Amino acid sequence: MAVTEITNESHFNELTTSLPPATPITISFHTPWAAPCTQMNAVFAYLSEQFRNVAFLSVDAEAHPEISETFDVSAVPFFVFIKHGKVVRELSGADPKELSTAIQELAGSSSTSTTNGTGVSAPSSQPPTKEAGAEEDLNERLQKLVSAAPVMLFMKGTPAAPQCGFSRQLVGILRENQVRFGFFDILKDDAVRQGLKAYSDWPTFPQLYVKGELQGGLDIVKETLADDPDFFKNLNTTA
Amino acid sequence: MSSSTSTPYADRIKSVLEHEMEPVHLAIFNDSHKHAHHKPMAGNTNPETHFRLEIVSNYFEGKRLPMRHRAVYALFQKEMAEEGGIHAMQLKTLTPKEWEERKARE
Repeated sequence: MAVTEITNESHFNELTTSLPPATPITISFHTPWAAPCTQMNAVFAYLSEQFRNVAFLSVDAEAHPEISETFDVSAVPFFVFIKHGKVVRELSGADPKELSTAIQELAGSSSTSTTNGTGVSAPSSQPPTKEAGAEEDLNERLQKLVSAAPVMLFMKGTPAAPQCGFSRQLVGILRENQVRFGFFDILKDDAVRQGLKAYSDWPTFPQLYVKGELQGGLDIVKETLADDPDFFKNLNTTA
Repeated sequence: MSSSTSTPYADRIKSVLEHEMEPVHLAIFNDSHKHAHHKPMAGNTNPETHFRLEIVSNYFEGKRLPMRHRAVYALFQKEMAEEGGIHAMQLKTLTPKEWEERKARE
């Protein structure tokens, strides 16, 4: 069974209700402009031929924000695994091996516990530690997050479904300038949301980081481009 | 003390900036209505959540944009941290010289 591309929300509902309840379902959320998604789409398609007892559905996260919201998609590529109508697992990031393992588990009967995917959706659960240790861990985590991609956007919502006008505008500007960027939905993780404000001494979102350094918010990016329209182009050549 | 005002935050922004930065030009715009329908604003009753400021001051001389913005944000930490307070401030920060140059270009 190959991959079924979802055309709209009712198509999605039809499919998921018409499948026999025992059929495991996996959903891939992708966007046309994020390079890792292209690679993972190919992996997804390949796995769909290998595991014929699993229903493989594909959703353009940007075109169908309602579906993305239903599944709390915070970054792409993103994979959801459903068994007996319940979401049993979610995977974030572009790791073919991890996806393959997850599908294998879904198709098989036993489930083993594995770690979450990499990519820019950082795992939010941490073992409890004493306060000082926890703060250090948070700072380390933030440092990794701001450098997760050469251009990192911390925004409200996702590029597919921005939850604030400034976040939406900043995504628009990055796309207009054809910038490849990673993103993190700060509405999904309050520790990062508050931690980043302190870490960068910056009270608002969205926040754009280039090579781990804070550039500022929407207004600064607009001004920077007004003064230097090639700002983003120059980044790519030096990356 | 003073008679009640319907724009306490705008008043505060004006008085603080005038005192701290002595701007040669200061414009304060309340853009809250543009964001009222956004999800994060659900349940909010404060009519002064989103501001857009144009500040022209020598204070910004020698400072790059992030530093300029941080300086302004630092003045309103309390207002931005409090529940139902200021949610966002879009800033245009220019030195008098830059302001003149911009005007000449238009």
